[in-house]
Amino acid sequence: MTQLDRQGPADPVSVPFTPGMRDNPDELAEMPEEIARAVEEPADPTPTEELTAEWRNASYNCFSSGHKFCREVCPVMQVTRNESWTPTAFHANVVAMDKGELTIEDVAADYVNCTQCGACELRCPNTLFTGDFYRFRTRTVDVVKAVRALAVESGVHQPAWQSWNARTDELTHEPVLGETPIDQEHVRDWSEGLDLPIGGETVLFVDCEAAFYRTSVPRAVAQILQQAGYEFGLMGEQWCCGGPAAEMGYVDQAMRFARHNLDNWRSTGTRRVLVLDPHDYISFTEDYPKYFGEEFDLEVVLVVEVFAELIREGRLTPSVPIERAITYHDPCRLNKRKGIWQEPREILRAIPGLDFSDVDRVTQWSYCSGGGGGLPVEKPELTAAISASRLEKAAALEVDTLVSACPWSERPLTEAGEAVDIDVVDIHELLAESLGITVGGSRNGGAGA
Amino acid sequence: MTIAVERLDELVTALRTVLRDEQILTSKPDRYNRARVPAPFPVHRWSERLPDLAVLPTSTDEVAGVVRIAHDLRVPIVPRDGGTGLTDGAVPLRGGIVVDVKRMNQVKELDLENRTVTVGTGISMLKLNEVLGKHGLFYPDDPASYPCSLVGGRIGTSGWSLIGSRYGHTRDLVLSFDHVLPTGEVMHVGDGIGHKISKSSSGYQLKHLFMGHQGTLGIATEATLKLFPKPEAELSPFWAFDNYDDAYRCVGALARAGVATFAGAVLFDEWKVAYLRRDDEAYIPQPGDVRALVCAVMYGYEDEVRPAGKRLFRIAREHGARYLGDEISEGDWAARHDRYATPLHGRTKSGQVVPMSWHCEDAAINYTDLPSVSKAWHEIVADLRRRTDVFDDWGMFTYTSGNTGVDYLTEIDVGIWEQQLDDRAWEMWVRAKRDIAAVALAHQGSISACHGSCREGEVDLVPDELGRGYDVMLDLKRTLDPHNIMNPGKYLLDRAYDTGAP
Repeated sequence: MTQLDRQGPADPVSVPFTPGMRDNPDELAEMPEEIARAVEEPADPTPTEELTAEWRNASYNCFSSGHKFCREVCPVMQVTRNESWTPTAFHANVVAMDKGELTIEDVAADYVNCTQCGACELRCPNTLFTGDFYRFRTRTVDVVKAVRALAVESGVHQPAWQSWNARTDELTHEPVLGETPIDQEHVRDWSEGLDLPIGGETVLFVDCEAAFYRTSVPRAVAQILQQAGYEFGLMGEQWCCGGPAAEMGYVDQAMRFARHNLDNWRSTGTRRVLVLDPHDYISFTEDYPKYFGEEFDLEVVLVVEVFAELIREGRLTPSVPIERAITYHDPCRLNKRKGIWQEPREILRAIPGLDFSDVDRVTQWSYCSGGGGGLPVEKPELTAAISASRLEKAAALEVDTLVSACPWSERPLTEAGEAVDIDVVDIHELLAESLGITVGGSRNGGAGA
Repeated sequence: MTIAVERLDELVTALRTVLRDEQILTSKPDRYNRARVPAPFPVHRWSERLPDLAVLPTSTDEVAGVVRIAHDLRVPIVPRDGGTGLTDGAVPLRGGIVVDVKRMNQVKELDLENRTVTVGTGISMLKLNEVLGKHGLFYPDDPASYPCSLVGGRIGTSGWSLIGSRYGHTRDLVLSFDHVLPTGEVMHVGDGIGHKISKSSSGYQLKHLFMGHQGTLGIATEATLKLFPKPEAELSPFWAFDNYDDAYRCVGALARAGVATFAGAVLFDEWKVAYLRRDDEAYIPQPGDVRALVCAVMYGYEDEVRPAGKRLFRIAREHGARYLGDEISEGDWAARHDRYATPLHGRTKSGQVVPMSWHCEDAAINYTDLPSVSKAWHEIVADLRRRTDVFDDWGMFTYTSGNTGVDYLTEIDVGIWEQQLDDRAWEMWVRAKRDIAAVALAHQGSISACHGSCREGEVDLVPDELGRGYDVMLDLKRTLDPHNIMNPGKYLLDRAYDTGAP
């Protein structure tokens, strides 16, 4: 006969209870504690100790999680299969630094291997199940940024990042074309012939890649806005948003650039910034508020969302059929980082003639172009491998076109697309074409245009 | 323990004859990140468990080349696949080389007629099933770590599958594999020599020997797996009970019913329900009168799952079950992989939330012994908890291991505040694990159904569990691995040698 007697002694820990409940028996609180003690913080912490104190619990929450679901969605891990370059390793290293086992000199180079796409955060059970209920949401992107910043602060530089940021500092724009001169005088060249005013309540901010290399994107955006009668101007003196510097750990430089841009908006009476690049959108909605607090009171508006709304309202009606078999690449900083995935699809479904093979946004958590987080600057071969892997997935859908909504993804995706004969186009350009607009500009920095 | 610098140089030079430089990793972070698995880990002693280097081979030949070098130079080798194992198999105890097979992740042959797939052992079940899904097939090995554990690790640990009552566990699903022996020789293991044979009577049955050895007998590099039609229908009802006894009787009745699509049944005890109820925002809220939960899982065609479901619902009702509804049932089952990894519910007795790691002790226990085993196990954890907030009781669940319900994977989940682990806390924990294993043996159970049993603490009881069989293990280890190269220190197998260390 089965023995089902489960009556234990009256000892309060011998029966199930919910810790912290008011009606728990008093004896629970009176049990002597043999081991657990508060963590002692040093009186005069080193920069490493400051970092580990801030990130200790968050990193332990990853370290202690039994399974590493983040690994299979990590774009770097997918192509390298190197466990040292996984989101979980980035947290484990912080634990090891906290224990005095590793130093920033030991680990700095490993942290290059991250595009800051945020897939790992979404796939982490901490995030999936509890949101931020315990304020322990996994924030790998912030950990990577913090460790990179500690490296720079400690004088540990990655050579290509160091020179990239030095040149950005010198040019006030990113050196997107390598040796090609880039400067303030040419930052508005992309808008030639469009007759756009300077300043005003709403300005369009154009990221360095689009302003100097893929100029067809901002041209398309500006002309669509003009067609819809949407009033906007260009920025007075636009510098790089500072986001890439922040991503690579050059925080002081990032803040200087941010300060310049904020002051410039103030000087032209700007209240609203239109953004076409998802990376800028992250800078203006996450970094700038962190730098400036309440002082940063501008409205930041993403162009893709504006276009979807204008189509919904009937102020834009794409009518020129575009006979292409397409799929859409969710830019990491829209879908994964900001949850923006519906509006681009609304736009694509409004364009007549398209044969759209969609891949759902959750599946796309594991997709990336490899173009973010400074990876292409320091490890272009990894960016190329990640882009090639993205194009392979597009090729399996038998499409002729991959549509993206992020200028920084489009250069590596385009290069990878050549191998599988898939054209990579920007969603704004595609929409412009369907609105009957002749865009102009260049999709490759003017080389061989 | 690490090897001397001059020997390390000699080793790296030798490895360069079979691997490219970028496949040989010697940096400190590379080594630290290959020194741990999710089993509780004495973080304060991390540096004692480091490999001297790690390698990333891409083929059986490269693995064999590395093992041959290690054999010649008498350097320890530890295979590492997903590194999600809960029993330390992939943790180096004596330094040496970690052979990380994650780059061996190709699908090499998909045989739609014979329903098999041949893969590199570095592929995960999730990625494999993405490929198979396009052909209406799936590989039903379903550990809680499904998205990131790898086929090779499943072989090395002889893992347990959540839906194993219908499809079998890893040992049933792997037909054959290429295996690098501790000497660097390559052999093919399976029924017969054919790669796709599921039943042979030729010779000794070696397949089981080379599964679940925790890396002590070599490294699996390429495996041929049995495939099934991707199920058309899935039914996973969750039922609530106001007492454990009814739930216990119910789970037994469901498993004994002999329903062909039955893939598993689970029983969550009062402690587990109390744990799940701690945070309504984080989990599905359960009313206060719910004391135990039972889940049954069926897979198959729509027209077989539906009537089977009716039968199981009838059985559940007869045992006092209250159905929790489709939304909870489907959501909870869909979350089966993630839930076990959520480490956030650690709490001190006063209710403070602290970062804790999830750890589980498991055993194979006959159905009739489940209540007394669970009672004894909770008492062991309560004893830890009386002394310190480093440990938290996260409840127990039991899961049918086979489709007749003869025995159950029985698991107690313990939260461990790893940041607070010191030698004293670690010793307390190791003793508790030994006591937990002793309870399983006292009930004629096995000390692991799922995770293996080579961790500190429970491993001490392995010779007791296996008796003369343990001596056979020593004989085999000495014969196959004459210099104790493969994962030395595991399973107390150093006893097979005069000196212990290689």
